[in-house]
Amino acid sequence: MKQSEQKEKNNIPQVSLFLPDFCDLKMIFSVVIIGELLAFILTLAPLNIEQQRWNDLALISLFIQWNGLLGSVGLCFLRRFFIKYNHIKYSNQLVAALSYLILLLIITLISESSFFVIQYYQISIIISSSTHWEFLLHNLLIGGIISALALRYFYIQDQWRIKIQTESQTKLQLLQARIRPHFLFNSMNTIASLTRTNPKVAERVTEDLAELFRMLLKEKHELISWSHELMLSQRYIDIEKQRLGERLSIHWQVETLPDDAMVPALLIQPLLENAIFHGIEAEIKGGTIKVVGELRNNKLLISIQNTNSKNIIHREGNKMALDNIRQRLNVFFQGAASISVKQENDIYTTTLSLPYQKLPYQQVVKG
Amino acid sequence: MKILIVDDEPLATERLCQIVTEIAEEIDEQHKIYTACNGIEAIKSANRYDPDIILMDIRMPGMDGLEAARHISALDEPAAIVFTTAYDEYALQAFEAQAIDYLLKPIRKESLEKALKNCCKLNKLQLEVLSLKNQKDFARTHITAQIRGNILLIAVENIICFLAEHKYTTVKYTKDESLMERSVQDNPTETALEETIIEETLKSLEQEFSQYFLRVHRNALIRKDKIQSLIKTENTYIVKLKQLHKGIEVSRRHVSDVRKWIKDSGNGKW
Repeated sequence: MKQSEQKEKNNIPQVSLFLPDFCDLKMIFSVVIIGELLAFILTLAPLNIEQQRWNDLALISLFIQWNGLLGSVGLCFLRRFFIKYNHIKYSNQLVAALSYLILLLIITLISESSFFVIQYYQISIIISSSTHWEFLLHNLLIGGIISALALRYFYIQDQWRIKIQTESQTKLQLLQARIRPHFLFNSMNTIASLTRTNPKVAERVTEDLAELFRMLLKEKHELISWSHELMLSQRYIDIEKQRLGERLSIHWQVETLPDDAMVPALLIQPLLENAIFHGIEAEIKGGTIKVVGELRNNKLLISIQNTNSKNIIHREGNKMALDNIRQRLNVFFQGAASISVKQENDIYTTTLSLPYQKLPYQQVVKG
Repeated sequence: MKILIVDDEPLATERLCQIVTEIAEEIDEQHKIYTACNGIEAIKSANRYDPDIILMDIRMPGMDGLEAARHISALDEPAAIVFTTAYDEYALQAFEAQAIDYLLKPIRKESLEKALKNCCKLNKLQLEVLSLKNQKDFARTHITAQIRGNILLIAVENIICFLAEHKYTTVKYTKDESLMERSVQDNPTETALEETIIEETLKSLEQEFSQYFLRVHRNALIRKDKIQSLIKTENTYIVKLKQLHKGIEVSRRHVSDVRKWIKDSGNGKW
């Protein structure tokens, strides 16, 4: 039982059944409670006072509990069936229709059998006036409405659960797009090595890492000055240089960019990370990353170039970083900024273009 | 005990060396440490030094650790392999499932000690996991053949064709200078072709390397960018490859594939 439950949980994204587990004790308990409440309502609802209410309640409860519990059993088996044959894709409509059918069938069965029991023992307290068909129709109508409401409720609850799940998933992905676990653990390893051999450098790498993460972990990305962004990028490169040694060389050609230009924080760090991942780490001899920036027609043009023997334009991780930057540019510059990539022979280039806006009020950090 | 440490980052290698030395000194054991900085170097070192244990990083340039482990484990008496990585979600899931030894960087001395004590060579099932992981990401970069207990590495980019004969597959390839001890290349246009026999089927090779190779016949898989021309003789089609004097027969149902390739590459799509 435990194991099958485990399996179910792992399968949720594929199967996505909205039916809850009716074999669960908690579920059965709530079915009983809801059934009892319904019995109360049905007993209290008729307006004639002559009837013996306690007797009515007992009989109605008995009837409803039979329906509720057998219905739970039916849905429980139906659910197991769906989970067992989970290679077929079931639409929610089909699941709902089958569940509804089973519930109505069970109501019919119980109505019929109770009718015969009542006739056989001649207990005709409640249904003295109604005929056989009236009795059945009456029960089916009430049962049908309640079942429909219940199924609808389960469906909505399930949708809500899925929504919560996807929301937290996307949040996590967004966070990981910003902080690649790879980078964090590799840096930790670098620090661990340096602590033995070169404590001073280890100290500096730790400081650099702290500074980067302080910016990375900010809930809201903000606009910072270009000189600040350049400084953060250099911190990042310094950390990676420790790790990759001579394989990483970088060439900055950004002197003409205005220090006070406003850029989203950590705009180019993910691009440098990509360049290192594909252009340096993937090559035995390493390579050179070239960052070129210029101010042209009141626009900042920044391009990052790395050698890359394999075509990475369509790689998943790469795409995610680019999409992320594109979104952020849109948020800050509403379509006035752009990012483009191109692969020419072995050279992969990412080019950013954003309007030159001076950073107001805030202090411009000197790089 | 002979230990081979494979990592492309000098600092990581250095730290591992130090920890291994510490452990060996504590238990007072004779030890020898070798290092390599990528998969190809690892295989060369494994050939040369015959280590007992290999500590292998996963992500490395040239050839990654998973592929190197596959090649090394194909030897008759392979070394035990313990993977090391800073972070590799997908590989680690597979490792967990098959109880493949791995260590997470920064590596703790205690866990390394434990791993060195308990490690054993990879079994068949575990190797399959490595190959599956590889197939999903990308094809191998090298093909290996075993010759007298040593691994012969053939870079896939040097392979001109695979030909099936009887039960075996023959690989025809150009000599790779980078893998040879001394370069003996006089005339680059007239490189002599080497050939060797491997035990893989054309079908699996075709699946793995479909990006670079084209099936032209039941018994032939050729490298796409080596195709020179398609010649029609009386009954059959023959495809001519660069660096291969003898043409290779193309079966009727593959003719259109070859034609299409020649046309596309002629248009400068390659």
